[in-house]
Amino acid sequence: MGEMNLLKHELRLLFRQRLTSLSLMLLALLTVTSILAGIAEVDRQRADIAAIPAAQNEDISAIASWIDEDKDPGSAAYYSFHPTWDEPSPLAFAAIGMRDVSPYILRVRALSLEAQIYDGDTFNPELALPGQFDFAFVLVFLAPLFVIVLFHDLVSGEREARRARTLEALPRGGRALWRRRSALRFGLLWLVLAAPFTTTAIIENVGAAPIALILVTIAAYLFFWVGLAALIDRLRWSSVANAATLSAAWLVLVLIVPTLANVAINRAIPVNQGTEIAMANQEVVHGAWEIPREDTMERFYANHPRWSDSEPLGPDFHYKWYFAFHQNGDEAVAPQARAYRQGLEGRDAHARALGWVLPSVGVQALLTRIAGTDLTAQLAYQDRIRAFHERLRNFYYEYLFYDRPFGKDDFDRAPRFGSS
Amino acid sequence: MSAVRLIARDELRLMARNRVAVIAFVLLVLLTLVAVASAWSHQRNIAELRERNAHAAESAFDRQPDRHPHRVVHAGHFIFRPLGPLAAFDPGVDAFTGNSMFLEGHRQNTANFGDVRQSSLLVRFGLLTPAFVLQVVAPLLLIFLGYGVLARERERGTLRVLLLQGAGRGEVVGGKLLAVGTVAMLAGLPAMIGFALIAGQPGALVLPMLTIAGGYLLYLALWVLLIVLVSALVRRSLDALLALLALWVVTVVLLPRLAPDVAGAAVPLDNRLQTDVAIARDLRAMGDSHDPDDPYFDEFKQSVLERYDVGTVEELPVNYQGLLAMEGEQMTSKLFDQYADKSYNAQERQNWMVEWLGVLSPAISVRSVSMAAAGTDFAGHRRFLDQAEAYRYELVQQLNRLQAEAVSYADDIAEDPGADDRRRVAAANWAKMPDFGFRPATSAELARAAVPGLLMLVGWLVLAGLALASATRRLGWAK
Repeated sequence: MGEMNLLKHELRLLFRQRLTSLSLMLLALLTVTSILAGIAEVDRQRADIAAIPAAQNEDISAIASWIDEDKDPGSAAYYSFHPTWDEPSPLAFAAIGMRDVSPYILRVRALSLEAQIYDGDTFNPELALPGQFDFAFVLVFLAPLFVIVLFHDLVSGEREARRARTLEALPRGGRALWRRRSALRFGLLWLVLAAPFTTTAIIENVGAAPIALILVTIAAYLFFWVGLAALIDRLRWSSVANAATLSAAWLVLVLIVPTLANVAINRAIPVNQGTEIAMANQEVVHGAWEIPREDTMERFYANHPRWSDSEPLGPDFHYKWYFAFHQNGDEAVAPQARAYRQGLEGRDAHARALGWVLPSVGVQALLTRIAGTDLTAQLAYQDRIRAFHERLRNFYYEYLFYDRPFGKDDFDRAPRFGSS
Repeated sequence: MSAVRLIARDELRLMARNRVAVIAFVLLVLLTLVAVASAWSHQRNIAELRERNAHAAESAFDRQPDRHPHRVVHAGHFIFRPLGPLAAFDPGVDAFTGNSMFLEGHRQNTANFGDVRQSSLLVRFGLLTPAFVLQVVAPLLLIFLGYGVLARERERGTLRVLLLQGAGRGEVVGGKLLAVGTVAMLAGLPAMIGFALIAGQPGALVLPMLTIAGGYLLYLALWVLLIVLVSALVRRSLDALLALLALWVVTVVLLPRLAPDVAGAAVPLDNRLQTDVAIARDLRAMGDSHDPDDPYFDEFKQSVLERYDVGTVEELPVNYQGLLAMEGEQMTSKLFDQYADKSYNAQERQNWMVEWLGVLSPAISVRSVSMAAAGTDFAGHRRFLDQAEAYRYELVQQLNRLQAEAVSYADDIAEDPGADDRRRVAAANWAKMPDFGFRPATSAELARAAVPGLLMLVGWLVLAGLALASATRRLGWAK
């Protein structure tokens, strides 16, 4: 018999076992379901983002119509919210990551950004609690269990059926046989995970490199669990003991160590600056009403000399003073905001470091990184919001600091997120 | 000694001789103790931090200098959701919701700085709490220890021997139940140590604690029944193990994640942008506060003038600007309430759908019992959001009333350089404003919220009991 025929024969044997074929079908079903769920979620997010312009136009044109009467740039800046959004990447369907709990749409005004940038969107916390059912979950959590089902009795099963000795004595038996059977099971598992993923990824226009990287990741992760099963098998325990030991290992590696590490990391790097930023910012911003207005302007012009040739303040209220103290408020808490961000990055870096030794965490980190759905991606979105907010400020300041009237048409000149 | 107890003792002795089983059991106990200690200290730290922040915010509010009341409306106030003592057992959605909120006039802000956005990706693997250990890990240990109790006897032919020696089928099954049940009790006990710590804290309520303990008792009892049932039904112990593992994966790992997706797709939520735009639209339809000739506000002005029986706003004994602010706040708040209710109700419908899927997964039911009785479920968070909004409205309206009564209309609209000082109201007023105090749910409310989940568990228990009774009758029949 040639190698091909041998494999065919083994395949027939494999599918004759009800447990094996059922397991593979179940894994296929779960993979496809998880991908469909991921696609549904990403489509929902895309639809939400696509619905922004209509709502935004309605909102802004209503504001523009009454602003147009006095043409006051301060009121225009104060009342206009500008949308920002974080489009899901083509690969986001495979690993939703933080996109279910972090906003992917945020409207900001030219007022203090520190009081706006940490806002969230509406989501149901009870639905978010157990975590998303996406491809990453099927791969990280469920696939190892299928490895256990298919591999726990690979050799021990034959031993218990008293066929092992005969099989080892056969030509191309023994090691070669176990290798063949292992490769076959491994290949089938990989195929069941990889085929639906690759098909969807191609439809979603994911590039070849990320697809290849994920296909290798799937193989490597499965290989880790197959290797673990092979190690346990060398102890020559019974099939039952193998299954119990492997599932205990799964429990420890996939559930217990990550949760323990989470406690340890959050303990090691406390992040409490969030509320401090919000409260300190509010204190500085509203404290401006109690200090001479010239002090506020002086401090503002010192940091932003670009506007310092503006007319001095008159006795009346002027919005340029109002916006200046809002910006002063942001700048006063900049160190805390940086520390806050560093805290988050520190926690993330520790978790990633754990990923190098713990495959479950490593795969999850890698998938959410490639899919652009992790903390790094969230912070990058915040950076884009910050840059856009800067443009917004400069746009309105042109009018505010030089007392240029702000009419209906000027609303169309406002910077738009995503274009530069 | 009765046959049941003899059989149970033999089974336990066998388990004790199994080194792997003993190690697994010891590990579970250690894990539970770590979970109890870490969840407890986490809850203490958070509760203290939030209390400290709340005090700082209150004193910052009270310390405000002489100010125009409308400035105070905009300077706003920070409030914090306190964390009840039972959160040390099951923090529920606490990490997934923001816990601090900024309250100000004419705006409803989100609760911010939730742990889930501040933690590494590990947070999505689950939180190490006593509830997590009991819901997820304990059943798996019971499976490892109990899958073979009957299957093994049948596989080795010892079941026939037992029955021939005169032990009744019910006695054999009863003995096995007693043995696995004893392990379940021992496994659940360390988590109850957490209760002892919690019970010592102020605000720890007895009835909810008993409800939670009862919920987990039912849940573990159900697993004991299911394990013995599967072990009685299948021919080989390997099949029993695999079948139970599959049952565990599907009900404990898979369905709790799948159910929210189903509910989320069935009941969509409006996002914040759409809600804000809709509120602005409704507000414009009611009246345009920026238009001096708007019919709605014109009518409001007329009604005020009539009420005070004067001809112009200048003649009013109160400041018309303050009255206008109160009217505006009342209008926006009504819309906030309306839209918030719509969103909360949609979320409750989603949760209700998930709860019904508990018919398929007792892990979903026990989780909802545990969170509901601990007051850490969505309903608990909604309590906070509702009370926060009520407090925000009350505070803003008191400040607006102060503007109406303590600031004169002439000063309020004056534009001369000295007007700003004349408009200010004495600082002593700020400390007189009410502080936010979260009113937690009562003991009875918490316990009542857990009833649907408890019923679901009882239903499972009855079904599993009936199935086991029928399997017992057929036990040992040759195939």
